[in-house]
Amino acid sequence: MALSPQLDALHDRVRLYAPGGLPVPLDAAGVRHLVRRLTWGESPGLLEEVRRDPQAWFDAQLDPSRVDDSACDGYTARFTKVRRSIAEVRAQDKNGSWDTMSELGWLTTARYAWSRRQLFEVVCDFWSNHLNVTNPSSDVWDSRHDYDAAVIRRHALGSFEEMLVASAKHPAMLRYLDNTSSTKKAPNENYAREVMELHTVGVGAGYGEAGVRAAARVLTGLTVGKDGTYAYDPSRHDTSAASVLGWSTPAHSAADGEAVATSLLRHLARHSATATAVARKLAVRFVSDDPPASLVSRLAGVYTAAGTQVVPVLKALFTSDEFWASAGQKTRRPLEGFIATVRMTGSTPGDAGRGGIDDLYWQTRELGQAPLAWAPPNGYPDVAAAWRSAGGTLSRWNESTKVVNGWWPNKLARLPDKSLLPSPLPTTFGALVDALVLRLLGRPATATERAALLAFTEHGAGDALKSTDQWVGWRLNSVVTTILNSPGHMER
Amino acid sequence: MARPVPLPRTQPAAPSPSSSTSATSATTTAGCGCPDGRGGAGSFSRRSLLKALGVGAMTLVATEQVHTQVAFAAPGYTGDVLVVLSLRGGMDGLSAVVPGGDPDYYRLRPTIAVPQSSLLGLDGTFGLHPAMAPLMPLWKAGRLGAVHGVGLPGASRSHFAAMEDMEKAAPGTSLRTGWLDRTLGTRSVNGGAAGTFQAVSMTGSQTPQMLAGPAPELTLKRLEGFALAGPGDSAVEKARWTKAYAALHAEGPPTVAETGRAALAAAATISSTLGSTPAGSGYPDTDLGKSLRDLARMVKAGVGVQAAAVDHGDWDMHSGLGAAGGGWMKDKLTELATALAAFDADLGALMSGVTVLTISEFGRRADENGSGGLDHGHGNLMLALGGGVAGGKVHGKYPGLGASALDNGAVASVTDYRDVIGEVLQKRCGAGSLSEVFPGFSSAGALGLVRSR
Repeated sequence: MALSPQLDALHDRVRLYAPGGLPVPLDAAGVRHLVRRLTWGESPGLLEEVRRDPQAWFDAQLDPSRVDDSACDGYTARFTKVRRSIAEVRAQDKNGSWDTMSELGWLTTARYAWSRRQLFEVVCDFWSNHLNVTNPSSDVWDSRHDYDAAVIRRHALGSFEEMLVASAKHPAMLRYLDNTSSTKKAPNENYAREVMELHTVGVGAGYGEAGVRAAARVLTGLTVGKDGTYAYDPSRHDTSAASVLGWSTPAHSAADGEAVATSLLRHLARHSATATAVARKLAVRFVSDDPPASLVSRLAGVYTAAGTQVVPVLKALFTSDEFWASAGQKTRRPLEGFIATVRMTGSTPGDAGRGGIDDLYWQTRELGQAPLAWAPPNGYPDVAAAWRSAGGTLSRWNESTKVVNGWWPNKLARLPDKSLLPSPLPTTFGALVDALVLRLLGRPATATERAALLAFTEHGAGDALKSTDQWVGWRLNSVVTTILNSPGHMER
Repeated sequence: MARPVPLPRTQPAAPSPSSSTSATSATTTAGCGCPDGRGGAGSFSRRSLLKALGVGAMTLVATEQVHTQVAFAAPGYTGDVLVVLSLRGGMDGLSAVVPGGDPDYYRLRPTIAVPQSSLLGLDGTFGLHPAMAPLMPLWKAGRLGAVHGVGLPGASRSHFAAMEDMEKAAPGTSLRTGWLDRTLGTRSVNGGAAGTFQAVSMTGSQTPQMLAGPAPELTLKRLEGFALAGPGDSAVEKARWTKAYAALHAEGPPTVAETGRAALAAAATISSTLGSTPAGSGYPDTDLGKSLRDLARMVKAGVGVQAAAVDHGDWDMHSGLGAAGGGWMKDKLTELATALAAFDADLGALMSGVTVLTISEFGRRADENGSGGLDHGHGNLMLALGGGVAGGKVHGKYPGLGASALDNGAVASVTDYRDVIGEVLQKRCGAGSLSEVFPGFSSAGALGLVRSR
């Protein structure tokens, strides 16, 4: 669906900004494109905020500490178990307890829905999938929340190299991909394979089975200690010489093994194949399912030049012609469609306790994309073709319907139903439908949408609308539901 | 006009975390971070709210809105229903159909081998893992057969690359479609439109690569609750909502629009046809059991299923595979055997027209690692179940586990998996030439795993 001729022509515009800035001024379609790609959906007032000063909003999103997030902080402060150290969890909880992992799922759902640091939360979701450690899964009952804080959130807008090293030395990753039980006598190849295939250079980089075995030997000794935290155990480390993808080590002492393993990880993070893999994955997230090679190559260059820093890559991406020419080329995944519906309705957590946040999380399980819950190590797929499930679609419709109508979660605080109505109230049904679609989808209604929604109300476009009509009264939510369950809502 | 009845406002509390707690990582879904099928979030049971909604909430009024997209049978297709059961994560075939007569097997696996004394039906070379007991009657009756040492030549030992390559089944080409999609595409069924249920993927929110391509498929997790929530019980409201959703899904990206239309069409059929077909019993209360139970229900109802994809993940046993008497492998094989036996019993005489094939992206290393597990390997086991199977034995060549027979430490692949599938397609599913399904593939000949229809 074309958005607007203006947007198509954006890349031709004279840019009114310093290099690295957005192509301001943005028209409505441009603001919509920026917001749909950089956030979990439009919340009340967000489009206006971005429209007022797109560059200021964008700059703050890339420097999230500048964004006041006190409202969301208030919601997330209700979850106290996730604030504990690994040692505290192990001392206080029954072995294998899911309490902390459950809280992490709820907390993450709340951040996606209500943080004002929206790009940060999108990027955290991206890295959580890139360096996936399934939550919940029992091996990581005591450490997964710490992985979220100390690895993903700490480095999400920092250096990929540091994030990779931190992940390799975190008990959650060590347990999830079995490096914790890998020894020089009988190496376990699981982590060594995935760190190259999924986290860094990619399966086509040419390391082969010999490379997997070599890396597995190099990484022996990185393990989890009895206290549940990371430990280097020299007695497990294979001290022989090894070479992987242009990196090599001579035979070394066991005491040097940790430094040798770290050196391999840093080499992998900085490898040109990793630059391309990370650049392409970011472009798939933010531009299109099959992003232009020119863009990927440019972003890979930025990644390398910036020493694996994430923010310069994102800046180059969001100011690229390819990004601005890509409107309509991404589709929201089920979780994004659902969270966007929550945000659009302006619902917030109830006053006390979990306030419905836990229920929202369980709904995300129903639609097949609970945050952090993907089981294999490759993370949720981010291309539309992977999500063509009729059952998943029906679940998304049904869970969204419950949210829009306030049936479930019934603990959420809701804006008045009529807050979505334009003021003053339109005088005809045609104008009502047009206004609701513009509000909910952020763009004018297509002819198909207009006809379908008018048929839904059994009214003609010119029929007069009274303020007492059922369609702006008790039936309003059914129209809102129908619009938010339409394909237009799924445009990312 | 009646006001729609809101959904129940009380929902059950979230499943109790403590009840889901597992003390051992080995038995926990994806505890090792291994591929677990496409439904990454699938380890929890559906909530009873959706059960309360029930199938059959749609009415015939609603059905009329989408009737043109519904096929109640597959006119013209007279082959078997082909069920492809993907054992994702790299199943260790040696643990299921065990080479109990091979001393190398015991030499290579000092702590995790299945003792000879516990093998079922050991014939000098092979016996079944004791957890496969529910399938022994079918093995003895010749309805369950096996092939060892199966794989894709030159296959990667990456889960993701191997799965993708196997499901595309078109190495050396730029094809992005899957082999099962191409199989469906070669069928001209009375020149009519494809039925909504012709290819069913019981895989939750994700559709497997083997079904990628132009032939439509229906991906779902459960029949239960497959109905549009919101309109309440009024037939008029249901028709109104269904009509509006169908009209809105006339445009938009195909992955959203086509899928939405398929959901509406399927919901109508599930309401009108499947609601009166009872579900079978004896299945394990797991995702696999429920998937096979629902699939059997669709086959019994005659909604036109030609092919089905079912996922059963969590086979990536790098550590803690366990012993024959208990542990991760025993639990997985028990679930698999119980579910397949229930499926066979549920379909009864209909199994004469059903073939189930298991497939897994690779087998494991022949020797166990230091974690009591098995790293990634190559050649693997395929199982075939059905009325047309020439079972009760291991077909094809067994590559052996001697040092010179191994491929980089793993069971070698000596039978191309396309030969196994191809034989089933040609003898049971009415396929002629396989050149479109498996481009560039030259068959080494039939194994005799199935009989011609």
